[in-house]
Amino acid sequence: MRIVCPFCGERELGEFTYLGDAKPARPAAGATENEVFDYVYLRDNVAGPMSEFWYHGGGCRAWLKIARNTLTHEISSVEPAAGVGARQVGA
Amino acid sequence: MAEFSWIARSPLEHALVVGACGARGTAAGVSLTEIRNFDLIQVMARRGKAAELAKAAETRFGVAAPGTPKAVRVADATLIWSGPDQFLVLCNGGKHAIEPLSQAFAQSGSLSDQSDARALISVSGEKARAILAKLSSLDLHPAAFPAGTAAATSVDHTSVNLWRGNDRPDGQAVFNLLVFATFAESLWHTMLDAAAEYGVDIRHSEELG
Ligand SMILES: [Zn+2]
Repeated sequence: MRIVCPFCGERELGEFTYLGDAKPARPAAGATENEVFDYVYLRDNVAGPMSEFWYHGGGCRAWLKIARNTLTHEISSVEPAAGVGARQVGA
Repeated sequence: MAEFSWIARSPLEHALVVGACGARGTAAGVSLTEIRNFDLIQVMARRGKAAELAKAAETRFGVAAPGTPKAVRVADATLIWSGPDQFLVLCNGGKHAIEPLSQAFAQSGSLSDQSDARALISVSGEKARAILAKLSSLDLHPAAFPAGTAAATSVDHTSVNLWRGNDRPDGQAVFNLLVFATFAESLWHTMLDAAAEYGVDIRHSEELG
């Protein structure tokens, strides 16, 4: 598997680390215990297209948000995660 | 109170033995040169200050700092892309040391002095690409990696800043690797092993190519 880093170009998988599902959003302060439990522990076991965070630690050290099909490993989009590369995401 | 002084020493001081190594009988296929005693400053844009940093860099160096993986030569320094909105300033003789640069980027950047934190290894010769191909997955063919191309990448699982400088007088490509000081000896041995079959010419120098 290869990932096209928006900053570095196409690189081998070994330069990247997988963080996991990009979907869970941190609950607001005052959320119920169930909502926090869900956010911290519960994950979908997706078979198909999934949005994920990856870290280009063996390269530019940017965090990336990647759309990948877990059945085929086909990657349909790679973008900088929010906060990475101020110019690119306009932060 | 006693004056306390640091003496900078190369992380390759013990591992590097000047002379020939590996296969003999023909001209060395690979030259490995450690460049010592350089100034290296990491410059990173603060959040939302990338445009301002770029402007300050242009004022300081007379050229735009690389916004894509490139190494840009100016009269007395090389600016090496190291990631989004960040670059390294490499020079010698303190021309762009941390103090003057901190002033130049006071409004837009965060700086970190890496001068004694990295080792700089220059690889050249007919078999330079052949040894790097054993350790790196990047395509270093001149068509894909012309002079002035840079990359933040891993060489034998070790993080490096790699860039192709100006060619040697004999036309051979020169690849420069900046590696963290504590990983330098390990990478050096790996590179020597990879190069041994081609014959290696080992040196150190204080001259930036
Ligand atoms: Zn990258």
